[in-house]
Parts: sequence; C-alpha cells; structure tokens
Amino acid sequence: MPLSKARVGHTGLIGTISGNDKIRQFLFSLGCSEGEEITLISVLAGNYIINVKDSRYAIDKKMAKAIQLI
Amino acid sequence: MKIALAGNPNSGKTTLFNAITGKTEYVGNWPGVTVEKKEANLRSKYNKMIKNGRVIDLPGAYSIAPYTNEEAITRDFVLGESPDVLINIIDASSLERSLYFTTQLLELGIPVVIALNKQDIVKRRGNTINIELLKSKLKCPVVETVASEAEGLKELIEAVNITAEKNTQIAPDFEGKGLEEENKARQKYIKTIINDVLVKKRASNEVTLSDKIDRVVANPLLGLPIFGLIMWAVYSFSINGLGGYLSEWFNETVFGEILPNNLNGFFESLGVNPLLQALIVDGAIGGVGAVIGFLPLIMILFFCLALLEDSGYMARVAVVMDRYFKKIGLSGKSIIPMIVGSGCAIPGVMATRTIEDENERRMTTILTPFVPCGAKLPIIALFSVVFFPGAAWVLPVIYLLAGLMIIIGGLLLQRIFKWENTSSFIIELPEYKLPSLKHAFRQMFKQAKAFIIKASTIILVMNTLVWFMQTYGWRLQVVENQSDSMLASVGGVIAPLLIPLGFFGWQMAAATLTGFIAKENVVATFAIILAVASEDALHVAGGPLSEFFTPVTGFAFLAFNLFTPPCFAAIGAMNAEFKDKRWLAKAILFQLSVGYMVAMMITQIGTIIVYGELAAGFVPAVFITVIVIGITRYLIKRTKQSVKEGKPLTE
Repeated sequence: MPLSKARVGHTGLIGTISGNDKIRQFLFSLGCSEGEEITLISVLAGNYIINVKDSRYAIDKKMAKAIQLI
Repeated sequence: MKIALAGNPNSGKTTLFNAITGKTEYVGNWPGVTVEKKEANLRSKYNKMIKNGRVIDLPGAYSIAPYTNEEAITRDFVLGESPDVLINIIDASSLERSLYFTTQLLELGIPVVIALNKQDIVKRRGNTINIELLKSKLKCPVVETVASEAEGLKELIEAVNITAEKNTQIAPDFEGKGLEEENKARQKYIKTIINDVLVKKRASNEVTLSDKIDRVVANPLLGLPIFGLIMWAVYSFSINGLGGYLSEWFNETVFGEILPNNLNGFFESLGVNPLLQALIVDGAIGGVGAVIGFLPLIMILFFCLALLEDSGYMARVAVVMDRYFKKIGLSGKSIIPMIVGSGCAIPGVMATRTIEDENERRMTTILTPFVPCGAKLPIIALFSVVFFPGAAWVLPVIYLLAGLMIIIGGLLLQRIFKWENTSSFIIELPEYKLPSLKHAFRQMFKQAKAFIIKASTIILVMNTLVWFMQTYGWRLQVVENQSDSMLASVGGVIAPLLIPLGFFGWQMAAATLTGFIAKENVVATFAIILAVASEDALHVAGGPLSEFFTPVTGFAFLAFNLFTPPCFAAIGAMNAEFKDKRWLAKAILFQLSVGYMVAMMITQIGTIIVYGELAAGFVPAVFITVIVIGITRYLIKRTKQSVKEGKPLTE
C-alpha cells in the first residue's frame, strides 16, 4: 500500500520507493529507505507529515504515493 | 589552522560559528538558512589553545552526495580544500540520521571532532545518549555543546587542538565497503551503534506538542489566514505601529526641524558660503536624513522577522503554501525567500538556493524582488503620508498587490517558459522553539549598523551627486532655474517614457533612476529636489509631492518603484543565482515590463474610475498595452508550439 493511502497514526515498514535516482538517493540519506520504520503523523494542507528516524518531514502527495509500505 | 564546520541542515552550525568567532551571521530555525560558506578568525580568547584559527562555516548537508546547490558547496569544500580539522555538528535529537553524514566525513582522513548539539531536546524527550561509548565506537572525540548558550565551547576547542595534531582519522569499519551495497551496509552499521548508545524512553513517533501546533497552523482551512494574520501583524507593527511612530518623530522633528534649523543658524553665524551650507543642509542632511529617519522602522521590522525565523514557523509556511505555489510553477519553499526578501531582497534571492528544481528556483529568483523590501518601505511610508494620510488600507493593499503580482507573474512565466513539472516537495520540520530575544536584538542592531553604513556611504554619495547635478548646469554654472540643471536634462531623456504612467517631469525620472542604486534614494532624491522648490516638509499630508501627483498617480508611482527591477546589489545577487546572463536579462526585462504595466494600469484605469476622466497619455497607453499583450501571446504560442513538436522544453 502506498503511504498516501495509510491512515494517520499508522506505523509501517518502507518497501520500495519509486522515482528518479536523485530523489531516492536523497531520501536514502535521510534514512527513508527499504526496511525502515515510517509513521504518518498527520496530513496537512495536502502534505504528508512523516516521522523517520526521530525526525519530522513534510512530503507532498506525489512523493507519498511513491513510497510503498510493506 | 583551518577548521571547517559541517553537519546536517539546522543542526546549529552557524550558531556555533557565531559563538566561537564572535560574528553575527544569519541564523534561523529552518533547514537551509546558510547557503554560502562563511569564514572568520577564531575568537582571541582561544588563542592560547589554537593560534591563528580560521573557522569556515558550511551550508548544511545530509550526505556527501549533494541534492541541492548549497550542499554541493559543502562537498566541494571538504573534498577540495582539505581543512585541518572538521567539526561535525550533530543534532543529538536526530542522532541516527546525522551519523550517516558523520560516517562519510570520518572516511576522508581529516581529523574529525563531533560537537553533540541540542542535547536539551534529547533530555526533554527522556532519552539518553552514552557519549563515552559513542566516542569509542566512532574513534573520534565527542563533545557536548549547547551552541545557543555558548556551553561546551572551551572543551570543543581543546578537543580540536588535540585532534589536529594526530593529522589523520580512523575510518569506520564495516563490511561491504566499495560495493554497490555500501550505503545499505552503512545504514546497518549505524543502526548497531544506535542500538548501543541511545536509550529511548519515548518513541519518536508519538504525537508531540509541535505536531499539535502544526495541525493548527498548517490546517487546510486555517493555514493561509493564519499566515496572513502573522505577516500582517509583523508589517503593521513595524510600519504603522511602533516603527512608524518612531520614524515619524525622527522625520518630522529631528531631521525636519531640529537639525536643519540649528545647522543653518550655526553656519550662518560662521558665515559659511551659502552654497556649501546648502550642500550640507539640503543635500547631505536633507537627503540622508530623509532615509535615516526610517531607521527605527527598519530595525523593528528586522527584529520581528528574526523572532519569526527563530521560531520554526518558516518551514510550516512552506508546507501551507506548497499546494498553492505548485499551481503557479513555484515550490512551497519559494515562500521562504519571499519572507526573507521582505527584509532585504539580497538574502532573499540567495535563499532560493535551497530549492532543488531549477525552474522553480529561477522563477522564485525573478519573483522574490516583487515583495516590498525594507528599503522600499521609506517610499511606501512617504507616499502614504502625503497622499493617503491616516488611511489604514494602503499597507495591506501594497502587500496584497505584491502577492497578486507574484501569482500573475508565476502564471505568465510558467506559460512563457514551459517546462515539465517533475519536482517533489520535501522539507524537514524542526521542533518549534521559543524565539530568543537576545538573538533578535543582535540581528536588529546588525541590520541597523548596515543601514547606517549604507546611508552614510552609497546614499550620501548619490545625494551629493543629485544635489550637485540639480544645482549646476552643464557648463558648471549655478542655475537659476532647476529645469536648466544637469539632472533635469538627464531625467528629461527618460521622462517622455513615463508619460503613459501619468508621471510628468524630469524629477520623477531622476528619482526612479537613483532608486536603482538603492531604493531609499527615491525618497532622498525627492527630498533634495523639493527642498529647493518648496518650504514645506516632505513628510506631511499634502506636502510638496502633491504638486506632481494626484493620489492615483502617486499610488501608481509607488507601484512602479516596487515592481521595477530591484537595486543594483539585488540584481547582482540575482546574477549570482542564475549563473547565466541570458536569464538575468530575461528577469530584468520581465520585472521592468511588470512594473511599467502595473503603474500604467493603475494610472489609466484609476483615473477613469476615481476622477471620471481620461488620464493624459491614454492613447499611447492603449497602444503599449496592445503591443505588450501581442508579444506575450506570441511568446506563449511559440512555447506551446515547441511543446507540441516535442522540442526540448527549457531554454
């Protein structure tokens, strides 16, 4: 299931991430990569607030669709 | 000794840099405040430990492989300039993520000292980090610091001194180096360290106070109104509130009466040449004074902006604005340069560097100068006092107009320079913090100093020149009539172009021209020119300016100066960001056209509505409008055509 379909408060493991190499590499350096835990904290103003490795990020819907949860 | 500061964005590098060098570089609570490397000498009190310490502050990076332009600066420096020691600042509250970059730095062979910062947040969460264990795992010194309170700095410098002597660094040892799987192995290696050193009492994915605040300020319905309200509060407090009140007093009493009266009396008693007296009183005091009077206003604006930037709210505004800005070809992050640009366009334009997508970055660079900067406030304040005394609507209307022009500008640019929108939006949300008053005061005085220096150098020189040119004719004779002066003939060349805008006379052209050097000059130039023509003070309702403008054309002149290209320094900053003269030319042409068209629309349409008659220059205005619409349509059509034919999209 893509992250964009998860309900708020859901914690899951990241499966595959689609998208171009540059953005995937960037997400990787944040620790947002396969097998890592990710929590959807809120959905605000069309953006997804996520928690990965103790940090909060806002990502847009396009990116939330690209992140598959296991 | 070269000491470089490297670490993740918003980990506190610049705060630490300021603390150990005594500088007051720009800091704020969002990722990507520092976009350039900065250098300074280590404070002299550390001389006993390290002689000739040179500290280099680098933009934040999540990894040695850059994602944005400012991250590339960091990589180029640590790889190319071989500093003697790297201080790696780690935000302790994001230890695991930070260590990714740390392990990469440890592999360079440059001695590394870790400054473990923001431990207060870790402790507040009830977590603990075993520092001794971390030290032995990473094989480098780890020093606890609280950069914002200047704690742990002596220990840090001591560690730097000892480590530098080793002149080498043991790289972290994990299986899988050099393989394609290296980075995964790196993450795994970091995880084993984290499991040992970090004791968590509370899971980080619990909903915190920050999250609850976010749910209000980034609410789909309330987000935009809250943002509007906050910005309105900042600007109206600075411009109409306390800042405006103090500026009014400065302008009317100090520079309007006390100083000129006393100085005139003083010079007369000395029997100074009346021309010299006029140069000093009308030229220097009149012109610079007309600008310096706005010092309190500028100071309060920067004070408020510093508080806002320190709170952590900026990253949230980017979240709120993203979905709107995407529609006009910008990124949510484009709002940050614009807010910074409301203080000064130069750091604003530089802040565009954190936008990854090249097209979005270019568009933001072109549109950021539309936001009225601090230097444009004197023009706004002067015109609203003279033409709309006591009217509360002028200020909000100006900012709304700026917002409207950014939207229209974005829509036009998107169609003229069509591109595929492939960008993704991602921004780290730092924890909110109570803004530091100390920091805000420091920023305020730093800006005040810069403003006074600007007024007493570039503005003073320009004013003297303006005074000289309006006093003398081309044969260096003192002119009886201002319209025979050099300034009048220079302004006269451009003046006809301004007729469709409703601005008559060389004075308007001269003021606009000097505005390109520094926007405050517009006010200063009027002060000088009108000091000769009129006895009345400049900053009063119905003052001498009202001989040149109706309220409608006055408002148009205001808009003209807001939207035409910014001052030279800001154009220089735009040039540095574009790295391409053709884009700079396009940007300036676009800004000029927008400024010209907006002013013309206000004058022509406004005159019909308000006075029920046609403004002068109506026919050429219609003519120009038709041409501009024609060119715009042609450009858009050409772009559409090339998209259809599948040609490369961006020029």
